[in-house]
Amino acid sequence: MEERRHTSREYERELREIKEGLLYLGALTERAIERSMQALLERDSELARQVVCDDDQIDRIDVEIEEKCIRLLALRQPAARDLRFITTAIKINGHLERIGDMASNIAEKAIILNDVPQIKPYIDLPRMAEIARKMIRESLDALVHENVALATSVREEDDAIDQLNDQIFRELLTFMLEDPRKIHASLYIMQISKSLERISDHAAGIADMVVYMVTGHSVRHKSSCEPKE
Amino acid sequence: MRTRLFFKLFGAYVVIAVLAVVVAGFVIERQIKAGLTRWIEDDLMAQAKIIALMPDAEIARQFRLLAERAQARVTLIDAAGRVIADSHSHLIAVDNHLNRSEIQEARLKGQGASIRYSQTLKADTLNVALPLYYGQNLTGYIRLSRPMFQVVQSVDEIRLSVLKALLLTLLLSVILAVVFSSKIVAPIQEIAAFTDRIRKGDVSGMVMIESRDEIGQLARNINEMVSGLQEKIRQANDERWKLRAAFAGMAEGVMVLDAQHRIENLNKGMADIIGREYADIVGKSVLEVFRNVELQDALNRFRQAGEPVLQEIALGDDMPLVLDVSISAVKNLPGEAPKTMMVFHDLTRLKKLERMRVDFVANATHEIKTPLTAIIGFVETLEQGAIEDTAMARKFLHTIRENALRLNRLVDDLLILSNIELGETKLNLEGLVVADVLERALMLIQANAALKNISLRTDLSAELPLIRADRDKAVQIMLNILDNAVKFTPDGGQVSIAASEDEHDFITLKITDSGPGIPKSELPRLGERFYRVDKMRSRDLGGTGLGLSIVKHLMKAHQGSMEIDSTPGKGTVVSLKFSIFQKTS
Repeated sequence: MEERRHTSREYERELREIKEGLLYLGALTERAIERSMQALLERDSELARQVVCDDDQIDRIDVEIEEKCIRLLALRQPAARDLRFITTAIKINGHLERIGDMASNIAEKAIILNDVPQIKPYIDLPRMAEIARKMIRESLDALVHENVALATSVREEDDAIDQLNDQIFRELLTFMLEDPRKIHASLYIMQISKSLERISDHAAGIADMVVYMVTGHSVRHKSSCEPKE
Repeated sequence: MRTRLFFKLFGAYVVIAVLAVVVAGFVIERQIKAGLTRWIEDDLMAQAKIIALMPDAEIARQFRLLAERAQARVTLIDAAGRVIADSHSHLIAVDNHLNRSEIQEARLKGQGASIRYSQTLKADTLNVALPLYYGQNLTGYIRLSRPMFQVVQSVDEIRLSVLKALLLTLLLSVILAVVFSSKIVAPIQEIAAFTDRIRKGDVSGMVMIESRDEIGQLARNINEMVSGLQEKIRQANDERWKLRAAFAGMAEGVMVLDAQHRIENLNKGMADIIGREYADIVGKSVLEVFRNVELQDALNRFRQAGEPVLQEIALGDDMPLVLDVSISAVKNLPGEAPKTMMVFHDLTRLKKLERMRVDFVANATHEIKTPLTAIIGFVETLEQGAIEDTAMARKFLHTIRENALRLNRLVDDLLILSNIELGETKLNLEGLVVADVLERALMLIQANAALKNISLRTDLSAELPLIRADRDKAVQIMLNILDNAVKFTPDGGQVSIAASEDEHDFITLKITDSGPGIPKSELPRLGERFYRVDKMRSRDLGGTGLGLSIVKHLMKAHQGSMEIDSTPGKGTVVSLKFSIFQKTS
């Protein structure tokens, strides 16, 4: 009996470690996004290189969490809710790692952009980054509190990001048409915008997984061709 | 009173009393029975001995009289055991009496006695026998028998007395039990009730028992114990309240983590610093609440090294705070799982002031250096011969003058600012018509606005009350704000001014432009000296970087306020709040 209780406590601890690991990874990716944007806005290439370097840590923790999940699956054979949590954790882990990569990409583009004159004040990009970070934070909040309503609301914020992305695209298109010398910088800014848009997609993916974890129903892959009303 | 203790006492008394009475009755009965029997036997024996003195024939002849006198049955038996005469039986018994135990005893010992149930008399009978001699020859035996009615009667009387004594004893036992149990049980019950109340947590009062015996001692001990307990509880409560007051009243945020690294407790200071509810934080891990890499790393470092960690952390932009956190172990009782204490100092304000000071020095130097560099550069160029070219020299001199003027403006602004800050600026407060003040400011700005094709629109309701302000300063305030609005609004945009009276005795002027707007994160820093949102651009536009700072301070001196709200991409709204002029004031 004592033995079993001990084992069960160990098991609880392992589950919690995975959860904490995800939160830590989330905090790391949030910081990476914040710093990559700061590097871009303040033309701080040193900081950008730091972000690229820090991605190694994100990758390492990604591997660690995955190993923990697989070990727990193999040794403990979790069932029902715990099983859903572990499979969810594996997927969230993947999303977060990809977000880290995106942040690293943004930092790389920032290094290039910092070497050429700034073609326009960055107003929409920081807003996108802010929303994307908020989405990551809220989707992980939803994970912590097992809050389906919060997770669902994360998905809705994705629209704002898509709109901003479109807006930046149109704006840059005008720049490029007006002045071919701005094409180089514009293309990189566009890639940053795209990366932020991808980050928000991953955040929404995390939120979907949280909904699945709590309710057991998948909300992913809504049909893209909705019937016209 | 009907308690178990009562029945125990009562039972004990009854058992003891009954045993005593029964044993005593039994002993007395035996004694009396034996005594009476001996007395009867002796009496019969004495009479038998008297009768035996008579000759046999005489006995046979007068035995009826003898029996009557001796109050006994007299039987004469010959040597062979045949009954010769019997006073109580007309039938001469056929059986041989030689085998009767008293006869046998008499034959062997010279006298005999026995107790036997007599069929004839229907009762226990005491028989005594003596041998009769004629000369040396045994001629027969004389036997005297008397029924033992007397003995039986006496024994019966004694038994009745014992029964009566038993009843009396039972009654006495009940009385004694009631009395004693009231003396013993009542105080014990009182103590039991009192200790029960203590067990349930009420440690007030004491048990009142006036007694010198062990129960009294017990009661006194309990009273002393309880008063000791009361004192200890009071002390513990005092300590707890002191600690709680200190813990709750601290401005520093304190969090205690349990052995599982969950937040076990936190004070109000902590909840205030991070602006979240107590219930929102308790039971969570630090990572769950803060989601901050630096804080988590510091915590991990503490866990690995086991030594106190001191670190400055900056929280993310949803909580724009700079905190100084110290992490240390809580000294707790041996055997308890180790706990962690985290103390947070809010450095946000300090950091802001520090940054403002550093920025001020850097900015002021820069602002002064730029025109100076230009002036020096052009003067040197002139010295190196450019002065010969009159047209060029004139152009250079113009630039030098421009830059000198800019320096002058800068120094003027700094002077104004420091005067306001030092409180040396005298405000001549009077009632002013908003439209008049605005008109004077607009006159000065119109040329610039026209140059950029910016439309200026005013929307003032006609019946606004007077504002309480210094005329020149009010114009300066509006001029500064309008100048900014025109400066930052792109060509063809518009600036509109509206004024309204709000319910709190204030008039609010709203100056709205259609400029690029200001990011939210920059808003709190506006009004700092030399602070510029877009560093490159605004300097090109010729500002000193002190305009908003002057407005902010002037508004403060007027007991009004300035608020700036902005949507990036749409424009900025500056709200100026002036108090309404009241004649009495």
